[in-house]
Amino acid sequence: MADSQQGNDVNGGRAPGGRPAIELSGLTKRYRRGNGWLTAVDGVTLTVPHGQVIGLLGPNGAGKTTTIKMACGLIVPTAGTIRLNGYDVGRRRADAVRQIGAVLEGSRNVYWPLTAWQNLMYFGRLKGLRAGEIEPRARQLLTDLGLWERRDETVGSYSRGMQQKVAIAAALITDPPILLLDEPTIGLDVEAARTVKDWIARLAADEGKTIVLTTHQLAIVQELAGRIAVIRDGTIIADLPTGELLSEFAEDRFEVRVKGLLHGFAGALPAGARAEADAGTTRVTLRDADQGRLHEFLDDLRAAGVPLLSVTQAQPDLEEIFLRLIGTQTPAPQPGDAAAVRIGGTS
Amino acid sequence: MTAAIARPGTRTLAPRVFARRAFANEAGKGLWLVWRRRAITITGLVVNGFFFLMIQFLIGGGHLVLPVLALTLPGLFAYVVASTAALQGAGGIAEEVTAGTLEQAHLSPAPPFLLALGRLAAIAVEGLIPALVLVLAFGLGYGPHWVIRPDALVPLALVIVDGLAYGLVMTALVLRVPPIGAIVHVFNMAIGFFGGMFVPITIFPHGVEIVARFLPTAVGTEVLNTALAGRGLGAAWADGTLPWLLVHVVMLAALGWGTFLYTVHWARREGGLSPK
Repeated sequence: MADSQQGNDVNGGRAPGGRPAIELSGLTKRYRRGNGWLTAVDGVTLTVPHGQVIGLLGPNGAGKTTTIKMACGLIVPTAGTIRLNGYDVGRRRADAVRQIGAVLEGSRNVYWPLTAWQNLMYFGRLKGLRAGEIEPRARQLLTDLGLWERRDETVGSYSRGMQQKVAIAAALITDPPILLLDEPTIGLDVEAARTVKDWIARLAADEGKTIVLTTHQLAIVQELAGRIAVIRDGTIIADLPTGELLSEFAEDRFEVRVKGLLHGFAGALPAGARAEADAGTTRVTLRDADQGRLHEFLDDLRAAGVPLLSVTQAQPDLEEIFLRLIGTQTPAPQPGDAAAVRIGGTS
Repeated sequence: MTAAIARPGTRTLAPRVFARRAFANEAGKGLWLVWRRRAITITGLVVNGFFFLMIQFLIGGGHLVLPVLALTLPGLFAYVVASTAALQGAGGIAEEVTAGTLEQAHLSPAPPFLLALGRLAAIAVEGLIPALVLVLAFGLGYGPHWVIRPDALVPLALVIVDGLAYGLVMTALVLRVPPIGAIVHVFNMAIGFFGGMFVPITIFPHGVEIVARFLPTAVGTEVLNTALAGRGLGAAWADGTLPWLLVHVVMLAALGWGTFLYTVHWARREGGLSPK
C-alpha cells in the first residue's frame, strides 16, 4: 500500500505548514463518576505526520473514541493540547476543525430524513463553502460511491452500506486534509466494508490524506495502516510502524494442514502446538519450532498415514499481536508446555 | 470570531459573511426537516384546532361564545408557537444526539449559538404556520370583533419571542436532562391551561392569575387582547401588563441563552453531545 510506504516515518513527516498533521500532547480526560474520577484517557501523546494512515486500536472502553472526539474538539480535554495542521483546537477551534472530516462511531453521522444531495450541501456549507464549490465535489463523490442515481432519495431509504458511504462523503465534502474514521466499517456487510476499505486506501494513496482509523476489524488496519498505536486503559502501550510491530512479534512458526480431523492419529502434538479443525481439514500450528521439530512431526504424520495437504511458514497476524498486547491472550506456548492441544480433541 | 476563516485551498470568508451563511444553512436544513415531517405538523394543527373548538363549546355550554373566542384565539396562537418550539426543539436535539448529527454539526467552525439561532428560526416557521392557519381559520370562520391596528404587531412579536425563548430553554436542557420530553409535555399542558388559550387568565382566582403570569405566553396573550380590543399599547402599559411582558421576554430569553451556553459547555466537558 502506498500509505504504508509513505507512512512508516513516524516522526519525520511534516504538514505543508511545517507542522505534523496531528499533534496530541499529554492528552488526558477524566470524568467525575459519583465521588471519584474515571480516567478515560491518560496522558496520550501522539504525533501523526502528513499523509500517514495510523490505526488506533484498543478494546472497548480503552479510550479510542474519547481520544478521537477530543481531537475533533467535541470533548474538552482535562489536560493536554491538540494541534491539527498546527492549529490548536482549544485556542483556534474554527481553523482546527476546518482541517478535519470525521466519521464517528456508532452513529448515523448524517441526516436520514434528508437526501444524500441535501446532506452534502448542508455539511459543505456548514464549513463555510459556497454552493458553487460544493456541487462539483458532491457530484464527484456521489458518482464515485455509486450513489449519483439515488442522490435525491432520503438517506433513510438506503441500505446500511449506502448510508455509511454518505457519511464518508459528508466527511470528505470539504476535502479536508485529515480524516478521523472511528469504526467506519461497523455494521457493514462484507461487500460494503470492502468498498469503504478501498476508499480509505484510495484517499491515502491518491490524495495523501492523513487518516486516523479505529476499527475492530484488524485485518483492515493491517492492510491500510502504515503505523499502529494500541491504547489500553487510556494509555498508549504500543506505537510502531506496522511492519515493525509485526516483526517485533515474529517467531519461527509453521502451519501444517492435513486432511480430515486426525482422529486416526495416535500420537500427541508437539509441545506448544495448537490444532484447529477447519472444513474437513486440520491446521496444526507449531510455534517456536525449528526445522528438526517440524520434520519429526511430519514423520509422525507419515507414519500414521495422515494425508498431508500443505506446510507453510507463518507469522502471527495483527489480531493475535493485538490480543497479546492488551493481555487477553496468554503468551505463545513454549516447548514443553502442558497446554499443548491433543490431536483428536479439537474438532 | 476575530479573524477571517481560512480553509486550505479556498479563499477566505469574512466572519460576518460566514456567520450569515452558517445561520442560513442551519435554518435551511431545519426547513428541509420541517418539510419532511409535515404530516406531524398537519396532524398537530388539526388536533389543536379540534381541541380548542371542543373546549370553546364546553365553555359555552354547547354554543360558541364569540367574545370568549376573540379573547382566547390569541392564546391559541401563542400556545401553538411556544409548544411547537419546545417540542420540536427538544425533540430535534434529542434525535440529533442519538443520531450523531449534533456532533457533526459541532464540527463546524461556526459557534454553537449561531447554529442554535438557525434551528430556532426554522422552528419558528414550523410553529408560526399552523398558528396562523388556525387563527385565520377561526378568525375568518367566526369573525371575532378585533380592532386590527399596527400597534398590535408589538405584542404579537413579543409573544412569538417569548414562545421561542421558552423553546430555547427546553431545547438547551435536553443536553443536561435527557428525559426532558416528559417535562416539556407538563409545561406545554400548563401553558395550554393557564396561558389564556381556553379562558382569559383574568378569570382565574387571583393567586392562580399571579402564577399564570410567570408562564410563557400568558401575559403576551393579555397584552395582545388589549391591543386587539382597540385600547392601544398605552392601556397595556398603564395596567402594567406591557412592562411585565417586556421583562418576561427579556428574562426568558436570557434564561434560554444562559441555559444553552451552560449545557453546551457541560456537554463538551462530559461528552454529552452523543449518547452515553
